[in-house]
Amino acid sequence: MTAWRTAAAAALLCAGCGTPPSAPLPPVGARTVDANARAATSVRAGDYAAAARRYEEALALARSVEDVDAIAANAINLSVVYQWMGREGSARDALKIVLDDARRAFPERRRLQAELRRAILELATGDRAAAAEWTARAERRCERLACELAPALLNVKSQLALDGGQPAEAARLAQAAADAARSRGDRVEQANALRNAGRARLANGEHPAAVAALEQALAIDHSLADPRKIHADLIELARASAAAGDRDAARGYLERAQTVSHAARDPRGLDEMEVQLRLR
Amino acid sequence: MSEEFQPPVRFPHLLAKVNAFLLVGLLLVLTFVGIVAHKQGWFVHQTMIRVITPDALGISTGMPVKLFGFTIGSVREMHLVSGGVDVQLGIMSQHMPRIPKGSRARFARESGVIGASVIEIIPGKPISGELVEGEQIEFDRSRGISEIVEEFRRQAAPAFAELKQALSQVNRTGEDVVVILAALRAEAEQLPATHKAMRRLIENADRATADISRQAGAALQSAQRASESIERSAPALAGKLATTLDSIDGAVGQLRQTAAEAQETLRGVRPVIDRSESAMRDASEVFSAAKRVWPLSDAFKDTPDATLPIDSFEARGAPGPGRQ
Repeated sequence: MTAWRTAAAAALLCAGCGTPPSAPLPPVGARTVDANARAATSVRAGDYAAAARRYEEALALARSVEDVDAIAANAINLSVVYQWMGREGSARDALKIVLDDARRAFPERRRLQAELRRAILELATGDRAAAAEWTARAERRCERLACELAPALLNVKSQLALDGGQPAEAARLAQAAADAARSRGDRVEQANALRNAGRARLANGEHPAAVAALEQALAIDHSLADPRKIHADLIELARASAAAGDRDAARGYLERAQTVSHAARDPRGLDEMEVQLRLR
Repeated sequence: MSEEFQPPVRFPHLLAKVNAFLLVGLLLVLTFVGIVAHKQGWFVHQTMIRVITPDALGISTGMPVKLFGFTIGSVREMHLVSGGVDVQLGIMSQHMPRIPKGSRARFARESGVIGASVIEIIPGKPISGELVEGEQIEFDRSRGISEIVEEFRRQAAPAFAELKQALSQVNRTGEDVVVILAALRAEAEQLPATHKAMRRLIENADRATADISRQAGAALQSAQRASESIERSAPALAGKLATTLDSIDGAVGQLRQTAAEAQETLRGVRPVIDRSESAMRDASEVFSAAKRVWPLSDAFKDTPDATLPIDSFEARGAPGPGRQ
């Protein structure tokens, strides 16, 4: 009797296994959250193509329910990922979703983020005039530099001033950025500000001050564990040490930068390193 | 002869009394000052040691310095130096033998992560010798609660996403099982009718056999014996078939019960999942609200939303952070 029952149950279960699944679609909100979570996982894994696909999916879902905040957030995320992929044009197009649409009531915070992202993108592609224009727009939206993005905004202005041959102004802005970041506990932008301050001091001929600022930036970047920034700090420290006449220290920093670059398998870092080693 | 007139004295020995009062007052003031000085450790000889920290956030003058949870001194002075902040620690000299060379200092909080800030000394090995006045020790900056929360969030978010995905798969699979069991139930409901039809077939076969035996007559005795044999065996076969059908009926009943229980379980699990999601959302809101309230607001930074960080470092055209 028991054998009969077991056989019947097994046969029924086998028949159940052969039935195709008929899964109902989850709600849009849950799918958006899933797409965002998978995109974040892809970003952490360095798979930017997959991350871009997920953010596009999340953007489409947000558009289907007219969630303006989610639309803006995913457009900004797409611009970041596209920039990492070297697709600056696509990054610019993604930001236009927020910047060129005056009809949708995007939150002010998102508009500010998009404007600052656009300034960063333009500066990265070497268009300083456009970068300055978008920075000014973002600054008007960030009243009296009291917004959460004030440190990043000041850092972009500092880089613009440095690229424009105004190291003293760049150092002043970097110091303001460092103070703002410190008061907000924003260690990422604090390190960026100290790095900018170091570069500005170096351009101004203040070599010991440049080394001190860059050492502080390196200490923070070590705690943040970002190899790109550690590499940048070490390169700047090598330049500052060489300018100060300390060739041994400069060589040490360059070798450390080379190790970081090799370990991170960063081709751009390696290219830059080749240039530095030839200079040495 | 009259006595010399003595004018009445209203306050005899007034000067002595005033002097005594002033003396007692002065003594009280001196005693108070002495007690305050004693409490402040003015009479205790202190040895200064130094730590250099790249970031003096949270450290302030007067902050207690503790060894094994016992206050042994305080932060005396702080000033900026190249590469960070030089923090001078005043340690009661009587405790210096407990702080050998190789000791380390770290920024910590009493009672876990939200207590008062202190500098904690972690003693090194005693064989290294004692620290001397003005000597520097290493400083470890412990992780802040915001960094701990951020790390927890970073590690927990993928786990929650996978858990959610697994639950949705379980949910879908559960619905498949429900569909299968419903189909099975429909089939099982047909089984009694089939059972009855088989019984009718057997009875008809029985009657047909009897008719054939009557019509064949004596000349067909061999056929009659055969039909009798069939007649004898047919009830046994029918009995066996009936037993088998009863077994199948029982198995189907049991399966039906199992399906009902599975459906009940799924119905019971779904509110639990919904409630846990709701509870997690509520906890998140409470946590967010608590983070905005002083004094916790200083210890927390805002949890980032779904937007990737906007980093001014990208203005240099740097590659992505996760590129391998």
